[in-house]
Amino acid sequence: MWNLYLPVAGNSINILLLFGLGAGVGFLSGLFGVGGGFLMTPLLIMAGIPSTVAAASDSNQIVAASTSGTYAHYRMGNVDFKMGFLLLVGGVAGGTLGVQIIRVLRTLGNADFVIKITYVLMLGVVGFYMFLESLQNLWKKDVVEAKRAEPRKPSTYACLIQALPWQMKFDKSGVTFSALVPLFLGTLVGILAAIMGVGGGFIMVPVMVYMLRMPMHVVVGTSLFQILFTCINVTVMQAISNHTVDLVLALILLVGSTLGAQVGAKLSKRLKADQLKILLASIVLVVMGQILVSLILTPNLLLGYKGGH
Amino acid sequence: MPMRKFAGLSLWVAAALLMLATPAWSAKIQVHPDRVEIGAFFQGTEVSLEGQMPLGCEAVVEVCGAEVNETLLRKGRRAGLWMTVGELEVQHAPNFYLVLSTTPRIPELNGQDTPWGFPALRSRLKIRGVLADQEKDHFSLEFLKLKESEGLYGNLPGALKVRNSPEGQAVFQGVFRLPAKVPPAHYQVRLSVVKDGHIVEQKSGTMEVRLAGFPALLTALAYEHGALYGIMAVAIAIATGFLMGFLFKGKAGH
Repeated sequence: MWNLYLPVAGNSINILLLFGLGAGVGFLSGLFGVGGGFLMTPLLIMAGIPSTVAAASDSNQIVAASTSGTYAHYRMGNVDFKMGFLLLVGGVAGGTLGVQIIRVLRTLGNADFVIKITYVLMLGVVGFYMFLESLQNLWKKDVVEAKRAEPRKPSTYACLIQALPWQMKFDKSGVTFSALVPLFLGTLVGILAAIMGVGGGFIMVPVMVYMLRMPMHVVVGTSLFQILFTCINVTVMQAISNHTVDLVLALILLVGSTLGAQVGAKLSKRLKADQLKILLASIVLVVMGQILVSLILTPNLLLGYKGGH
Repeated sequence: MPMRKFAGLSLWVAAALLMLATPAWSAKIQVHPDRVEIGAFFQGTEVSLEGQMPLGCEAVVEVCGAEVNETLLRKGRRAGLWMTVGELEVQHAPNFYLVLSTTPRIPELNGQDTPWGFPALRSRLKIRGVLADQEKDHFSLEFLKLKESEGLYGNLPGALKVRNSPEGQAVFQGVFRLPAKVPPAHYQVRLSVVKDGHIVEQKSGTMEVRLAGFPALLTALAYEHGALYGIMAVAIAIATGFLMGFLFKGKAGH
């Protein structure tokens, strides 16, 4: 009775399970400003949805969750539209470049190796750094050690970005940067996201926090604004080229996720920035651990279907 | 002359009687339902098979979909880690295949290749791509395991129960499950009657699985008007996102 047939996925699934998945991932989306694709898509595949349909329908669902989340954060004054727009332009350029890189890697035959290693390394580096930094802040210990672990030295980094042309003030974030910085970082995240086949929210959030020095609450709102447009593009492209968007699947997920996003956005206001960061870092590390285990353990089947993340 | 006429007539009558008698002894197979509609709440369904055959025979029923070519990803180890190492193209694989029998083991033929069952299916598969010749056998087995795990392939010996009919025929019945992910298509239902390792008779029927109602409408829209479908999907998502935003607006605490 609670099962619905998903016409594009070509399978039937329990409505309550989908609603629950949507609500859970939407909650995280509103809380941290991530799209949640890196969590949702593997969960949908586990529930029996073909991977290509899972990824495309998830993008459709993220459009709703990020609209809901962006709107909620906008009302709280947490969206830096100027910064979001520059990151978005960079992200689109980077995404296009990333797709070409993957195409070359596929012809060389080692695309999956690069994808998996990039995934684990990115999740690992981002997760560990954010976790340690937030933990030290929460314990009110000296943060100098954590800063030392950062790949770029802050002073050199600061000098470098101050020397760049087209400096502009981002009022909402309270920072002044050259327009080239968000453009470049957006491109970098776009490349990585395209290689990994994800929206890139979990990389974009730390980039905004640590490299653009934006306040955590503005980061969440701005990240959602950027994700909204990335996912609109992906949904329409997937619907036209691959016919992999399942509207029934997306609808049930998005009813759950939009509700979850509102609750998440409210809770994000109540939590401290470091608490938010440490929670996101923990989830990123759990996902990394799960991928690492799947890389090490012998799989049940040595054949799988194409597509997905 | 009248004698010859009478003899000729007798032969015709005998032939006609034989023809009339033959269907009663011939094998039959029926599928219920023979048309399965995938509606909005479809979650797979049970299909029953019923047939008859001469006494002392064994029955094998195959339910088989159209042959398709599939491209799959092969997993392997690189630097000690399991990941996709290349693509394999599997040809001549039916999109659905079940084999059921009246015996505890799927019957095999004497002195010739058995045309049904998983071994026959494996021997028909052509696998090309990133693999050595000696690995083909292993990967054809992996392919069958993958399909079995999805409920799209099944080996069901003994799934057909036999009883004797008052007419002196053996009647068999069985039930199989069509999983929710069965592809909409026409399926062949083939009965082979076997005695002493030889095929005595073969009969076939068909079963249709098709999309109906809302799933049919949505699939047609997705495949025939991709751009419109995509824009519609995005519009619905944005509208729902805003709607939720408005609904929560009154409670926004700041």
